[in-house]
Amino acid sequence: MGVYAVTGGSSGIGAKTVEMLKAKGNQVINIDLKGGDICANLATVDGRNDVIRQLHAMAPEGLDGLVCNAGVSGACGNLPLVVSLNYFGVTKLAKGVRDLLIKKGGRVSVTSSNTISQGTGRMDIADLLNNVGDEKMICDIVAGLDQKNVTVGNSIYVATKYALARWVRRVAPYWAARGVRVNAVAPGNVRTAMTGALEGGARAAVNALPIPTKFGGDALMEPDEIAGVITFLVSEESLGMNGNIVFVDGGTDALLNSEKVY
Amino acid sequence: MNLIEKYIEVMQNKDYEALAELFSPDGSLTDYCPKGTAQREYHVYGQEAINMFFRNKFTFGRFSISEAQAINDHQAKYVANYGGYLVMAIATIRRTTEDGRIERMSVRPK
Repeated sequence: MGVYAVTGGSSGIGAKTVEMLKAKGNQVINIDLKGGDICANLATVDGRNDVIRQLHAMAPEGLDGLVCNAGVSGACGNLPLVVSLNYFGVTKLAKGVRDLLIKKGGRVSVTSSNTISQGTGRMDIADLLNNVGDEKMICDIVAGLDQKNVTVGNSIYVATKYALARWVRRVAPYWAARGVRVNAVAPGNVRTAMTGALEGGARAAVNALPIPTKFGGDALMEPDEIAGVITFLVSEESLGMNGNIVFVDGGTDALLNSEKVY
Repeated sequence: MNLIEKYIEVMQNKDYEALAELFSPDGSLTDYCPKGTAQREYHVYGQEAINMFFRNKFTFGRFSISEAQAINDHQAKYVANYGGYLVMAIATIRRTTEDGRIERMSVRPK
């Protein structure tokens, strides 16, 4: 079967994705801060370069898939970390192993968020990420914001996830021309270590986002509901899909934005 | 003929293949001018995408340029026609590769 790399594969959606890919007989390389086959910090340039080097050593014949799932919430109190991990930890890594993906006609899935459609992101930051891409400069800007303000933190989180989705749309056409498909999932609120740790205003925000498939019950999706779609996106079965932002949120986006059909 | 003059030539000729060849494999073209029209900005990444995108724009998108003139060795001005909506535009080569291809180009309203 195939060789896959998954970031953030030690917990939550990433761990479920690793489990599902392995169940299909694939070799999976988990990249995480702790408990990974490669332990590295994707929020740093050195960490990313180390991962890229190790993946080339571990999968010299190429990668069938890359799942970029590692991320932090805007409530983590460190907004440069949100920028560096959520956006650059994906785009720089994917670009760094693109040669491995080309070798095997690989697939990429990145984890965005369904909050991108809710208009709460700092679009100026999203524009800087996509159009300028200067990590140090953007980190310096967000370092000057209130690190503890949940609303500010969420606006930067959404900006990184919006920029990520737009990055997918921008690179997917030409990566596909070289045999590599790139898609994103935009999950709703999922039961993970990240969402489990939310308190106060952040918790209230989570609860204010109803999930139609969970009507009358919990306002959190289970990791395997997202991981199943990711596993499909990085499989050969999703052959015709490229450049899609797939909302995997139990219908929250449909509920709140029914008129947005495209 | 320098790079910006070649850009003008291929744009005037609607030669999307030659246009793509002016760019590096991962080169990008960002055009902010359509924002004032009914269209969205153009953000086109990669040689193949530039080829495909402008094939569509030149063929079906009624996109063309006229009155083009090089301002210096990395900038040109022209009237860009976005489906009948005219914008005075300035194209700037922001970065090139060692082998002389465009790595990053932006087009903005003058």
